[in-house]
Amino acid sequence: MWKTILRRILIMIPEVIILSILVFLLAKAMPGDPFTGSINPKADPQQIHHLMKINGLYDPWYQQYWHWVVHLFHGNLGNSYQYQEPVTRLIGGRAANTLWLALFTMILTYAFALPMGVYAGRHEGKLPDTIIRVYTYVTYCIPFFVILVLGIWIFGYVFGWFPTTGSISSSASGWLSTIGSRFYHILLPGILGALFGTVNIVQYLRSEVIDAKGSDYVRTARSKGVPSKDIYRHHIFRNSLLPIAAFAGYSITGLLNGSIFTETVFSYPGMGLLFVNSISYRDYTVITALVLIYGILNLLGTLLSDIILSIVDPRIRIE
Amino acid sequence: MDKKKLALSAVAVLATISLAACSNNKSSSSSSGTTGAAVKLSAAYNNTKATDKSATNNSTLKVAEPNDSPFQGISDPVLSTNSEDADVFSPGGSASLWKTDKNYKIVDGGLANQRINRKAKTVTITLRSNAKWSNGSKVTAKDIEYPYEVIANPKTTSQQYSADFNNIKGMAAYHTGKAKTISGITFPDGEKGRTAVLHLDKVTPAMQYAGNSFIWSTVEPYEYIKNVPIAKLASSSQVRKNPIFTGPYKLDKVVEGESTTWSPNKYYYGKKAQIKHISINVVSSNNIDKAIQSKKYDFTVPASVMHGTDYKQLKNLKDYKIVGQPALSYDYFGFNVGHYDTKTQKNVMDKNSKMANKNLRQAMMYALNLDAISKKFGNGITWRANTLIPPIFEKYYDSSAKGFPLNIKKANKLLTDAGYKKRNGSKWRSDPNGKKLTIYFGAMTGTSAQAAEYQDYLQQWHKVGLNVKFTGGKTMEMNSFYSTLQQPKQSKIDVYAAAWGLSSEPTPTQLYGEDATYNMGHFVTKKNTQLINNMNNSKAWNESYRTKAFKEWQDYMNEQAAVAPGSFSYSWNPVNKRVKGFDIGPDNNEFWSSLSLTSSKLE
Repeated sequence: MWKTILRRILIMIPEVIILSILVFLLAKAMPGDPFTGSINPKADPQQIHHLMKINGLYDPWYQQYWHWVVHLFHGNLGNSYQYQEPVTRLIGGRAANTLWLALFTMILTYAFALPMGVYAGRHEGKLPDTIIRVYTYVTYCIPFFVILVLGIWIFGYVFGWFPTTGSISSSASGWLSTIGSRFYHILLPGILGALFGTVNIVQYLRSEVIDAKGSDYVRTARSKGVPSKDIYRHHIFRNSLLPIAAFAGYSITGLLNGSIFTETVFSYPGMGLLFVNSISYRDYTVITALVLIYGILNLLGTLLSDIILSIVDPRIRIE
Repeated sequence: MDKKKLALSAVAVLATISLAACSNNKSSSSSSGTTGAAVKLSAAYNNTKATDKSATNNSTLKVAEPNDSPFQGISDPVLSTNSEDADVFSPGGSASLWKTDKNYKIVDGGLANQRINRKAKTVTITLRSNAKWSNGSKVTAKDIEYPYEVIANPKTTSQQYSADFNNIKGMAAYHTGKAKTISGITFPDGEKGRTAVLHLDKVTPAMQYAGNSFIWSTVEPYEYIKNVPIAKLASSSQVRKNPIFTGPYKLDKVVEGESTTWSPNKYYYGKKAQIKHISINVVSSNNIDKAIQSKKYDFTVPASVMHGTDYKQLKNLKDYKIVGQPALSYDYFGFNVGHYDTKTQKNVMDKNSKMANKNLRQAMMYALNLDAISKKFGNGITWRANTLIPPIFEKYYDSSAKGFPLNIKKANKLLTDAGYKKRNGSKWRSDPNGKKLTIYFGAMTGTSAQAAEYQDYLQQWHKVGLNVKFTGGKTMEMNSFYSTLQQPKQSKIDVYAAAWGLSSEPTPTQLYGEDATYNMGHFVTKKNTQLINNMNNSKAWNESYRTKAFKEWQDYMNEQAAVAPGSFSYSWNPVNKRVKGFDIGPDNNEFWSSLSLTSSKLE
């Protein structure tokens, strides 16, 4: 098992290198440069050239790439052109925001979806099942940004129950009120995200439960006289979790991706918005850093999924 | 961020206007020049209710900054590159040196006064005796000089250096790293004194106006930031977390990218701030109208970007007054008539270029129905522009200019007279030599309303028999649009629609001058150079001469139609009726300290 993991990690190294070269080249291939957006009657093109030069943007790509790699090994991802601060600090601040929101959303999603999935599977074809199925499909059909805009309008503006902008209140000070304010700010986007993101988990779980219900080991357990509650808890539930476990690795590493929609509507400074902005501003250093991070996280996600799967399902354990 | 916002943010970035202009200078009456606008907005909200003392002392003035991304958080005008940062830090006064009148002319009574000595070619800047930073330390002569060091330092991240600064003696040597100090800036009573003198190669009438490109208009707290290397200034906590200011308010707290909070600065020299707490929050421009409708904010930051569609939503609100004045910007059409010679660093007109014929350009402009477009998509706050100086410059704006109203007949006649005729039964006109004529229109991807406008332009051009197509078959992403236009020589775009944001000193040298790289259509004539130079020659110290020079240039540009006016619009704000003293006119130099509240809750 450990050997496999080690081997997987070793394979990741060339993958990351190839990924970084691709990202680097693609970023540079986009039309424009970090300073195209800032043309204005007062910005002298000579000064822009000067800035391009001292930032090495006129060098051939392999030289730029090499500088970047050298800096990378010193833990330096460069400076953001747009934000004029170190990329690590910039991403650090945003990553924390995104992580809290995504973690909260994920916990809530599982908290809603698992019971719903099991319940629907258990009562297959009956009214609760139909209601849950309709619910998941309806939530699946509505574009998420519509939900966000409606949600912020109804609960944020009309009722005024939740904050509508930012990740923390500007008047929060002190340890407790800071945490409280942060939590208050992720509450509405988190709940909306969870309520409207259940479809995959519910549907997988439901069909797995239905499958498992008719399987031999369940029939055996029943004939042994095991109480129905225990059958569901110990036999069916664990087996039905397999496909969901397969996704778990991705969802954990996906926590940092951020959601452009949520972040735009709630003016929540996170990774999704940072990524999109960095592309439109041609903020190369930020683009490359982010794509690299996402790439590594994805590779880790696959690995993590395999590991989780092997824990849940001893049959596929690799020796 | 979708494409619509990209285009809009592009406009916002382009509108990096002088900070002196966007912080504390706004006008009272600007009714002239807005004749084309469907509504008349006033630059001030005259609230007649009495100020509520306890409300003003105890409740928080809530201000919104409509923006789709977190602000960068660079409080220093020397280093900041965007208007959002200027907006969220504006209660601090933006370290502005000058007080201005309604024409943005520098008058005595600000943080400093300036005296221009035309004979000695010097500008003397003298700080007022009680000028202090918000941490209580004195503003010194060195603080006047330090911005130049930061701007021109070879390692700077500032984008502000321009060739016009070479006019200061010793500046070029410092910029290239040959000199350690700027020899042309001296301190008659020492660095800790109150006076700095700039020694110049020439003095120009533009220097009398805030926002000119020769004299920097803000101070830097030298003592406070001297230990930070200039290359690292933009990321330092002195600039981001704990900046100090010279204006009516001091910063209490900044939440990175989200909000700033303010309280009165007891060291401020001018009118004492009345409201005790101010908070400015970034609000997504997708729901700014809902935020205002549900009374979350007192107003939006002056000069921040508010869209026409928001105006439609908010104009009838009972508890909000819409305040506005013509924006420091204009939309225009540019024609590609030449190239930029990289050797001589000058723009050159090509006689044989596709768009070289004046009749063709005029005809294309007369074919457009800009009035109808503004009426349909402008929501009442955008109107057809008649010239290239926006009406906010009351003195220089030529209200009598005709611009290009719809006139299909005239357009057809202009084309036929110039030899652009339909030949061999073709539905399109060919060029005077009988060759096929296809004109490529470059436009930036934007809102759906903009897309409809572009389609209408094409249709109108088709109506007069011109085969006009989008460059590349569709609208262009902002970056590729500008990188195409900024190539020294390009033939992909023949005509384009774009916008300029202006500084509060409107001399157009850097946009349409002979050696201007932003002269992307490369229109150059002797007469144009002459007319632009007239605005700042020795006779232009005479106000009426300068005004005349501006009007002559506007006439000439309209006649040549190489760069043609598109539209003007209002810069506007919804203001809650509990706010008193709201006035965004350029001559209100005490915008933030004039505000008070008439009730403790939003009305």
